[in-house]
This record gives sequence, C-alpha cells and structure tokens, in this order.
Amino acid sequence: MIKIGNLSKAFGTHEVLKNISLTFEKGNVYGIVGENGSGKTTLFRCIAGLEKHSGTIQCEHDKLKNHLGFLQTDPYFFPKITGREYLQLFCNARKIDENNFDGKNIFDLPLNQYAVTYSTGMKKKLALTAILLQNNEVFILDEPFNGVDIQSNIIITEIIHRFKAMGKTVIISSHIFSTLNDTCDEIHLLKDGVFVKRVFKNEFGLLEQEMKEITIGNKIERLGLK
Amino acid sequence: MLNRSLRDFGLNPIVGYLLSAAAFTGLSVYLFDKTTLAEYLFILVAISFIYALSQTRRNDFLKSCFSIKTYYLIRFTENTILALPFFIVLILQHCFLSATALIFVSGVLVFFDVENKFRFSLPTPFYKRPFEFIVGFRNVFYVFFFAYFLTFMAISVGNFNLGIFALILVFLICFTFYTNPEDEYYVWVFSLSPKNFLLQKMKIAILFTTMLILPVVASLSLVFTENAGTVFAFLGLGYLFLITVILAKYSAFPDRMNLPQGFLLAFSLWFPPLLLGVIPYFYLQSVKRLNELLS
Repeated sequence: MIKIGNLSKAFGTHEVLKNISLTFEKGNVYGIVGENGSGKTTLFRCIAGLEKHSGTIQCEHDKLKNHLGFLQTDPYFFPKITGREYLQLFCNARKIDENNFDGKNIFDLPLNQYAVTYSTGMKKKLALTAILLQNNEVFILDEPFNGVDIQSNIIITEIIHRFKAMGKTVIISSHIFSTLNDTCDEIHLLKDGVFVKRVFKNEFGLLEQEMKEITIGNKIERLGLK
Repeated sequence: MLNRSLRDFGLNPIVGYLLSAAAFTGLSVYLFDKTTLAEYLFILVAISFIYALSQTRRNDFLKSCFSIKTYYLIRFTENTILALPFFIVLILQHCFLSATALIFVSGVLVFFDVENKFRFSLPTPFYKRPFEFIVGFRNVFYVFFFAYFLTFMAISVGNFNLGIFALILVFLICFTFYTNPEDEYYVWVFSLSPKNFLLQKMKIAILFTTMLILPVVASLSLVFTENAGTVFAFLGLGYLFLITVILAKYSAFPDRMNLPQGFLLAFSLWFPPLLLGVIPYFYLQSVKRLNELLS
C-alpha cells in the first residue's frame, strides 16, 4: 500500500500539485488521467522520489524506490549502449542475477543493437522489459502504450492483469481511454494539480463520455471545417 | 550553447575562451616538446572533434532548418573553426603534410553523416557492468590503441617519458568517462546507499582502468625495470585522480561540475598532496547529493 498525504509540489511560483491525498492498495490497478501539464508526470516523479516535495508518502517498504519500477514517458538511453547492456544495467542496479535476456525478450527486440537506434515503441518496450526483470512490487507506468504496436499492446495489458493477480500495485497514466478501461480498477482525474474525480470500473463509460463532452465542447465547430 | 555551458560552469564566456586558448597553447607546446608523435596525436584529436559534428540526427535537424547550400556552409564553417587551432599549431611546428591532411579530412567530413549507419555494435570487455566504460570505450577506443602504439614506440626507442605519457593518456581518457553527469534516473534506479553506490562506481572504474592500462604498465615496468617504481607511482596517482574525478562528478550531481569544483580538481592535479583533503571533501558532498536520490 502507498499512502500519499497532502503532497504539494511547485516549480518556482507555479504550483503543479496541490495538497494531493490518495491511497494505492495492493493488487489494484489505478489510472491517472488528465490533460498535458495537469501534473501526472510530476506526481509520478514525486512518488518515485525523483522530485522534492512537501507532504508525505508512506508504504510498507522501508524504501519505496527499491521496490518500484518506473517506466518514464520518454525513457532516456545512453548513446552506444545496446538493448542487452541496458537490461544488464537495470538488473545490476537491483542486484538481480539474470543472464537469459534472450529468453526473457518477450517483445522480440534486437538486443544487440544500440538502444538509441530503436523506434519510439521499441524504446518503450525495452524500458518496460528492464523494469519487469527487476521483480518490482509497485509499478508506475507513464504512458506505457504510447507508440507501441498492437501486439505489444495486448502483451502489456495481459502483464498488467497478471500483476493485479499477483497482488502488485500498478499506477498507469494513458491518453488512450480504452487501455485504461481494459486494465484499471479505478481512475483518478487530475486537473490543475488537484484530483477532481475518482471513478470505479462500472462508471468508466460515463467518465469517458463526460471527458469527451468537456474536452471537445464546441472546439471542432470553432475550426469551421469544410 | 557553448556560452551557456560556460556560464553554467560559472565562467564568463570570454574568460572561458581565453582560458581554453591558453590551455590549448600550453598543452600544444608541452606535447611537441615531449614527443615526436605529437603531430599524429593532434590530427587524431582534431578529427575526433570534427567527427562529433557528423551525427546524423543533428545534421538531419540542420538540413530540415536550412537550405542545402546553407547547410553545407554551416558544416564547412564549423569544421574549419574546429580544425583551425590544430592547423595553426601544425603549421607553426612545420608539419605541413599533416596540416594539409587535416584540412582535407575536415573538408571531406562535411559531406558525411557517420553515426548510426551501421547496425554493428562494437564489443567491449565491460558488458557485465554498464555503462561508463562501455560508452566511453566505444567512443574513443582508437585512442587506447594509439596509447598502446606510443608504449610500443617508447620501448622501441628507449624513451621512458613517452611511455609515461602513454600511461597518462590512458588515465586521461578514463577520466573523461566520468565528466558528464548521467540522467538522474540512472542513479535513482540503484538500490544502494550513497556510500555503497560510490564504492561500486570506484571499484568498477579501478577494475576496468586496470584492464585498459595493464598492457602499458606491464610493458614499461618489464622493459624499464630501473624505473618500475616511477611507473607504479604514476599508476597509484592515476587511481587517486580517477577516484577524485568520480567523486567530483557526484559532488555536483545532477548538475555539472561548477567552477570551484573544477578549480579544486585542477589544483589537485597541480599539487597532488591536496588530494588528501579534496577526496574526503568531494566524498561528503557526493553523499549529500546522492542522499536526495538514493535514500
């Protein structure tokens, strides 16, 4: 369980997160949705310990970060590091003795190629494979489906289902509502640094409809498409 | 960008350029004074700088922004600016053939984007412990072979100083692997305390540097037996500086090293006993910086 209490974060005078309180239970999958710039990534970075913040983050582990797999929106790769070496680095970091990278290469990535030469989707899959190999208890997946092909999409969705069955905690952000619909137990809507809505599985359809109406409004009409 | 980097380092750009020019001149005079192979080293260093401007992604960006004529003009100007200081020194040293070759190569490289054309990844003996030595070795592996060649030449002509220069060159290259801070995610991901993280970094650096420097040290100490003590003294000093560079990097992390830290490092190089104070200082600063990510 991860318990967030009164978490706030500001960059200079710009307050990105405002007194957020939320609890993530074990064996549940949480979706975080919100517009670009609403504070999703900052929230994830705060939970991971990559950003200083005010407020508290409690969990059953003494150091959450050592049990956390954090898939970043845009993972950074060193130049001239192969996919295999990237996986090795992540296993080393968590003292995981893993040699069978080919056997665990579920996305069929060209592991002997430099990771920087990979496509956007391949980079995402490599970064995901790396955190999967670490046997983490908690996963934060920031846009895991972004740029990923349909086959891998199916695999990632199934992995999230398995994690839920294994009692792991998964927090996902995605701009693709159908993927959240397939995986999440509850979705939290983040707006201007505040959670404005909490929706459970049976209400996802309503949330999607509501978001469509609010988001689209009369914007398309304003374009005057002909 | 260069101006901004210099300002971030805490230097006025004009002062930075003047200092760079002075350092370049001083190093050039020293090199040409110490070894006859300086002209080849000069060409090698100049071409490696120019080569760095041939990255496909960077040049694709330039091509998308400018007309093809302007693009080639920019590339030609950049390559010329980089090659010019080396060209002038080579001319002043009467190395006319090398100077001409350098200008020719820098001109030819305008028309090449050399990165990512190949799917081949250079194998390294460091694959079990990414990333500094893997990336560094792949970037400048040829300099190590040049250092081994210098060692061979030093032994052939009985020039011990040239051998020591080769040893220092290997260390200097290894130091560069630790000059730029990595993305903080690559520190955060480690489930180690700051102390153990630093110890692991130092252990790996010493082990891999030893692998690279062993041919030089073994050859020099076997051939110049009477100077073996000097070889090992330089080796020990090199390890101390390696540790200092690693600690200096993390003492500023995730930022780049700033001017005071750079000065401390430079003063230690000039007067090594300072390391006795500088190493513990950088260590404490590093632990403090890493605590924010690792604790």
